[in-house]
Amino acid sequence: MDFDIPEELKMLQSMVRDFVTEQLKPLERIVLGRAADLSDTQMYLPLEKEQELIGMAKEMGLWGVNVPEELGGVSVGTLGNCLIEEELAQTVVPFKLGDVTPILFDCNEKQREIYFSPVFNREKYAYLALMEPGRENFGELEMQAEKRNGSYVLNGKKLSLSRAGEDYFAVVFALTGPGKGPREGMTCFLVDKGASGFSVNDGETITGWEARERRPMSLVFDQCQVAAENLLGEEGMAFHLGRKWLPSRRIVRGARCVGTAQRILDEATIEAQTWTSFGQFISGRPSVQAALGDIATNIHAARLMIYETAWKADRGEPIQRGAAMVKLFATQMVHYVADNAAHIFSAPSYIGGLPMERFCRNALAMSSTEFALQLQRNIIARDIVKGLKV
Amino acid sequence: MPLREQRDVKEIESILNQVLNVASPPVARCRLLSTGFNPGHALNIAEDIGGHKECIGCGNCVDACPFLFREPSRREKTEQRTSMALESIVGADCDQCDACVLACPQVDTTIKNYVVQHRMIEVMSRLEQRIGDEDEPDLDLFIEEAVVQ
Repeated sequence: MDFDIPEELKMLQSMVRDFVTEQLKPLERIVLGRAADLSDTQMYLPLEKEQELIGMAKEMGLWGVNVPEELGGVSVGTLGNCLIEEELAQTVVPFKLGDVTPILFDCNEKQREIYFSPVFNREKYAYLALMEPGRENFGELEMQAEKRNGSYVLNGKKLSLSRAGEDYFAVVFALTGPGKGPREGMTCFLVDKGASGFSVNDGETITGWEARERRPMSLVFDQCQVAAENLLGEEGMAFHLGRKWLPSRRIVRGARCVGTAQRILDEATIEAQTWTSFGQFISGRPSVQAALGDIATNIHAARLMIYETAWKADRGEPIQRGAAMVKLFATQMVHYVADNAAHIFSAPSYIGGLPMERFCRNALAMSSTEFALQLQRNIIARDIVKGLKV
Repeated sequence: MPLREQRDVKEIESILNQVLNVASPPVARCRLLSTGFNPGHALNIAEDIGGHKECIGCGNCVDACPFLFREPSRREKTEQRTSMALESIVGADCDQCDACVLACPQVDTTIKNYVVQHRMIEVMSRLEQRIGDEDEPDLDLFIEEAVVQ
């Protein structure tokens, strides 16, 4: 049993750690804002600053770590991606190293030029339009696309949590077969900005205290005609897109939880070592020590689970159960860590403008989808039954 | 009081297999093939119900059904928790896992033993086949992609 991270990945991890420490962490004030009333809080970095960072990342050979080499990326495998994501999650600055949704990896040659490459180079933004307003759960999809004279007509509304930008296109999921459910009748369309009948509401840049939370954009399709060549993948096969890459993303998101939890632990440790009560540093108090111990143990367990599953993914072994376990445990873990950090900070860390506040807010947001966690439990249980032999 | 002798499966093996081969929850029919209430029951009633084979509405079969676990919305069709309710809401979608038979307190132990010893291998291989066939895409992966970008 070898728990050592391969040397080349250690180097990669160290390079990203330096990048985060030297380039991203100093920018946290820009995102969190300096004004007492948080009026200058921003959701994202200013575009010029971001372009500068993108240039740096490209020079360091870190741009497109999750993108396959044939699409112009520098694929580093699942374990490499986990190590990188863990480091990137340790800052509140939202910067990703050329991350593109694997749904777009299935673009054909022409679509790669028009859609994938501009997204990869941050010249265009892809608005992922899956969820629909007014539904009880995310999985309920009813938007229809009607086939007329060789093209499709979309009608309905979608919500998108993607990042808004000047130039964009929508990746829309709509039902093409009457009477078919989402799994067998769903087709994916690429709808350009400015297409007739396609409009976006609430896509403006938000600043101030509202920028602490992501708000969905509303995409409206009113008799929007889409050419058949703008179909992504095959008709009715939308949920088969990116199948080769999507499952391992679940592990990488687990690594994000670990990164966030690690930063919370680091901040909590500094707090414990610097604050005193009754003449003693609070790090000597049993309740604070208990909280630190519990947090560190949970992070360690999640990290081991993630590395092992990522290692299996890189070896081509089945990871469905492992990835579901990672998501289940890591999501609960980061919530637990944020909760326990309150023991050290003597209160929930909700003082606006502090990194801790943003981290705890993110941690709670990660764990707020109980529905998704129940699905993970189902996946794990199904896999256990599958393996049961009489 | 001596325990009532339970049904000898050899006598009913053929009909029992027919029942178990039908894609519909078999619990009610297995209950009718059983010997019914034992005279030594612990219910506080004067009436002699020894040998009665009615469903007692405990709901164990409804709770044990894996199909209803996957599609809980079907439970909302009725508040009843009887074997008849189970047959009505599951019907031909039954997985034929026989979990309802094993969960029912009114089904004879001899029948349950038969199911475990003679039918489970077949059931498990059929369930495994079903799971193996399920090449269904994981919709949650797409939801995650849309929510966490």
